[in-house]
Amino acid sequence: MNQTTIHPYQRSVSIIGVGCTPFMYTVDNPETDGLTEGELFGYAALKAMEDASVSPRDVDFYFHGEASPLNGSNYLTPNIQIGNWFGMKGKGSIHHSEACCTGYLAIEQAVNAVASGKYNCVLTGCVEFGDSVPAPFGPNDTVETPKHPYKRVKMTMERFLATTMWLYDRNYARSMIAPMNLIYDDVAEDYVRTRGITAQQMDDTLNWMAINNRRNAARNPLAIERREFKDIAKEKGFDDVMDYMRSPYNPKMGDFLRMEGVERKCDGAAAAIVCATEMIPEIVKNLKHKPIQVLGIGSAACEATTPHFEIRATEEAVRQVYALTGVKPEELDLFFANDFIITSHLYAAEIAGYLPYGEGWKYICEGRTAFDGDKPINTNGGRTSFGHAHAASGLADVYEACLQMRGACGERQVKRLPRTTMLRGYGGSQNVAAIILRTLE
Amino acid sequence: MSIKLEKVVETFYQNLEAGKITGRKCLKCGAVEFPPVYACNSCGCWDMEWVVISGKASMHSIVLPAALSSRPEYKDLGKYAYGEVELEEGARFNAVVRGISRKNRPALLEKLPIPCRAAIYQRDGYKTVVFDLDEEE
Repeated sequence: MNQTTIHPYQRSVSIIGVGCTPFMYTVDNPETDGLTEGELFGYAALKAMEDASVSPRDVDFYFHGEASPLNGSNYLTPNIQIGNWFGMKGKGSIHHSEACCTGYLAIEQAVNAVASGKYNCVLTGCVEFGDSVPAPFGPNDTVETPKHPYKRVKMTMERFLATTMWLYDRNYARSMIAPMNLIYDDVAEDYVRTRGITAQQMDDTLNWMAINNRRNAARNPLAIERREFKDIAKEKGFDDVMDYMRSPYNPKMGDFLRMEGVERKCDGAAAAIVCATEMIPEIVKNLKHKPIQVLGIGSAACEATTPHFEIRATEEAVRQVYALTGVKPEELDLFFANDFIITSHLYAAEIAGYLPYGEGWKYICEGRTAFDGDKPINTNGGRTSFGHAHAASGLADVYEACLQMRGACGERQVKRLPRTTMLRGYGGSQNVAAIILRTLE
Repeated sequence: MSIKLEKVVETFYQNLEAGKITGRKCLKCGAVEFPPVYACNSCGCWDMEWVVISGKASMHSIVLPAALSSRPEYKDLGKYAYGEVELEEGARFNAVVRGISRKNRPALLEKLPIPCRAAIYQRDGYKTVVFDLDEEE
């Protein structure tokens, strides 16, 4: 496969502020039903500015990410439609869309813009309505025809699955059937075959990833699912949580994958303020925390006819960022992986060397990857429990990473203060990013 | 040879209608792109020629369809699996292979890679390429 050598930034760039909404099913709750794109994005953006101790006047440009703006918002140019909401009217912006990888490439875009010297301080944010669509939007309606100025209706799973086809090449991937259907189980199959574990061991590993994610989310006020599986199991009459996870309450949805290993699609927004490190003293008068430097970002993309597309692209992105930064896997204190198919977090962590090859499944089954373990992964709860507001999820991971690295995560704070974090972004059949963050001393 | 603006996709599907499964071979390194595209992903050369593939192939991984990965219209395929397929000409891609079920999968996993053969399959309004386990091998 093709490889790329990436080069050092022209100047150091740091994340100085982060913001995130709760991830939620907005139309299910009268308090959130009626929230709009500008309100979600604007909240996250202003929270990030507040966190960075900057005002909108200090910010030069904004990046806007949304995975499915036509379907979810009835917009072709979503960055413009929310441009008045956070005090940056008239400033330049651009929209980008890389499906579930959008929030990770949001950091890539912002860092590149600052590292080049064009801007000193930029906002990068993402918003998604993954669980609702503009109303009216019945079965006979189309994406072009919502009439009401702000009301939304629930997006059915049938509708969602129909739109996920938009992620795949119409010329070959859809017609050949296999490319768009391998996303669910390809990684699990590969792991079983190459590591020599049994299908039962993989099933247990998938269930433990869901349990660990939920333990983390239970301690995160922004997460969408906060009830631990052990408590749900007891309520359903199971003494052993694994008996519950193997029961029809958690049915097989794939060859390996079970229901609780699939994302909770939902609504939300997240944002970050990215600044030239050398300019922080000039732009920020009273920064209350340490900046977090973006050491490097590896990138790769494999469309879905490519065998093992997630694995191959992750290997390349991780190779690039290690080659650039010189960081060693043993230096990573914290790991995030976009796990809308939960298997991703096992496999990506092994590719990054955060978990040892062929042994990662044991770490997971022993609970060592939960927030209180020695190899924490997805401390916010991951896509299966924190929720998945598609574009926004990557920046929600960046938000969590920064808070963990500041020691500001309260009861879900990891045991040892992380200094170096890797985030593996993935999505859109398939874009992949490998980001390394390090706290500036 | 200069880059040509040409209808590669339409040609591929028209060739299927004519009973031919075709790819594009790199004139510099000999790698075959399947499904066919403009440039070689092995060496980057864009001098390519159409070739008819032999149909001989091998399957390297097996994933069975399930609730999330099947649709009512796939029933006509009969028993099938998804997986990585490698053509005799070298191209590797994700494809459907017919003749695989929960019953025979354990035995097939022991034999990977398993031989298979390309077939032209009629979908709703167009033909595509699937593979069949090669029983003769």
